[in-house]
Amino acid sequence: MSASVTITDVAQAFPGRAKARLALDGIDLDIAPGQFVCVVGPSGCGKSTLLDLVAGHTRPARGSVTVDSARISGPGPDRVMVFQDHALFPWLSVEDNVGFGLKHSGVPEAERRATVATWLDKVGLTDAAALHPHQLSGGMRQRAALARAFAMRPKVLLMDEPFSALDAPSRDRLHVELQQLWADTDTTIIFVTHNVREAIALGDRVIVLSSGPGRIIGDVPVTLNRPRVVESERVVALAHRVRGLLDEADQLGITTPREGGDSYVSI
Amino acid sequence: MSASDVSATVDTTAQAVQARSRAPWWKTAGPIVITGIVLLVLWAVFAIFADALPGPADTAAELGRMTADGELWSIFGRITLFMGTCFAIAAVGGVALGLLLGSNSFLDRGLSPYLAALQGMPTSMWIPVAAVLLGTSPWSLAAVVSIGAMPAIMLGTRSAVKNVPPLLVRAGRTFGADRGTLLRHVVLPAALPGIFTGLELGWSIAFRCLVAGEIFSGALSGTGIGDVIDRSRATGDLTEMMATIMIVLTFTLLVDRLVFAKVQHKLRVSRGLVDTGLPH
Repeated sequence: MSASVTITDVAQAFPGRAKARLALDGIDLDIAPGQFVCVVGPSGCGKSTLLDLVAGHTRPARGSVTVDSARISGPGPDRVMVFQDHALFPWLSVEDNVGFGLKHSGVPEAERRATVATWLDKVGLTDAAALHPHQLSGGMRQRAALARAFAMRPKVLLMDEPFSALDAPSRDRLHVELQQLWADTDTTIIFVTHNVREAIALGDRVIVLSSGPGRIIGDVPVTLNRPRVVESERVVALAHRVRGLLDEADQLGITTPREGGDSYVSI
Repeated sequence: MSASDVSATVDTTAQAVQARSRAPWWKTAGPIVITGIVLLVLWAVFAIFADALPGPADTAAELGRMTADGELWSIFGRITLFMGTCFAIAAVGGVALGLLLGSNSFLDRGLSPYLAALQGMPTSMWIPVAAVLLGTSPWSLAAVVSIGAMPAIMLGTRSAVKNVPPLLVRAGRTFGADRGTLLRHVVLPAALPGIFTGLELGWSIAFRCLVAGEIFSGALSGTGIGDVIDRSRATGDLTEMMATIMIVLTFTLLVDRLVFAKVQHKLRVSRGLVDTGLPH
């Protein structure tokens, strides 16, 4: 199951000390069902805010967000979020964590157990089913979080820098595993990252955001064969192009933060 | 080394680590017993200089007498029953109302200042009021003890709820939990360690309140402590009083070790708050 996501002229702002600060402005985005879309941009460009809007955690200040042409009115199990910190419930075992959403959306016990077992098997955590999150390594925790999200069979999967806190080998493996899981389920994925190569390696399409306020400055289609890895030459070459787009807009600044540029904090 | 030697070494290493993780009984009970003996010796020395204070030997003899005529069991049983019932009511009511406060900001803003004031004030001040309003029966004392322990439990629960990481709440919401489910299956378990701290505080407040009631009037007595206090006051002999204090101390020690400490440890272990990498 998958759904289309349509974002029309969306703006979002947060109250500041003197005046509200615009996080996103004039975002227009059409995502086809089953598409894997990556969103890159400098820190603070409103990437996570974009996911929050689709997840229904917040409402846009202007514009509309629809999933399968239905306006979003709040969080729902059809749009599941994977967080940067695994956000597993520390008092539940891995198995119960993966089954949490299923249990509370009324899936019968037998069916739930079967689904949980399937997804634990797919992410290679069958032997860790009875362990608690604190007994797992960082990579295993994030895998459990992936299993928990995929087990819900969401129409849209929202991923907020899920691999950025992991060590490089774990991240490389999870890149491949995520592409496999996505191919198995054909769910729509919106994947937010600050890592340009990661975005190219995973996405069908890479949306490039600028910061202060977040605007779309690039929409790069990626047609390379899957599964892709971040070290592949073609991925690196395409990453250079995206990096160029960001540099042009004075983003991801490597130089001293200038007023109006990325990493300059104006409050 | 052959392959079987290697696996044998691995096995013994695993066994050694497993054995080390379980402390033998004398390592856990030892410090408690030794400290107890030291305290008894200090008490004995102090009793030599203070004439009116009965020493451990006299108190032990008195405890023997109280055991023989059943007074010890009567006091112990009545404390357990009285505190158990009152605290159960206070805990259920306090946690439920605390969850309500933690999740409803209107109620929280309205009630929390008054609860904080009630908690700061000695609950025993309500005892005369209850004695006149509800009569001098154990029921009136039970009401004060139950209600008196509630503000601490409510406030403890409320701040525990406020300290639940927002990320866990968002995770719960993203997996389709509605308000009720979120409160029961995410907020409550996440707040449980903090709620328990509030419960421990409520327990000690309840006990203080109980004894204050017994001192106020022997007629309010639900446990027999008040009768002992009355007799000691009349005769000036502290032996029975010291024996009763020992009974109460044993009771609170048992409750702490068998209930509070055990549950706290379990909560910490299941949440990964005990570093299992270190010997502890």
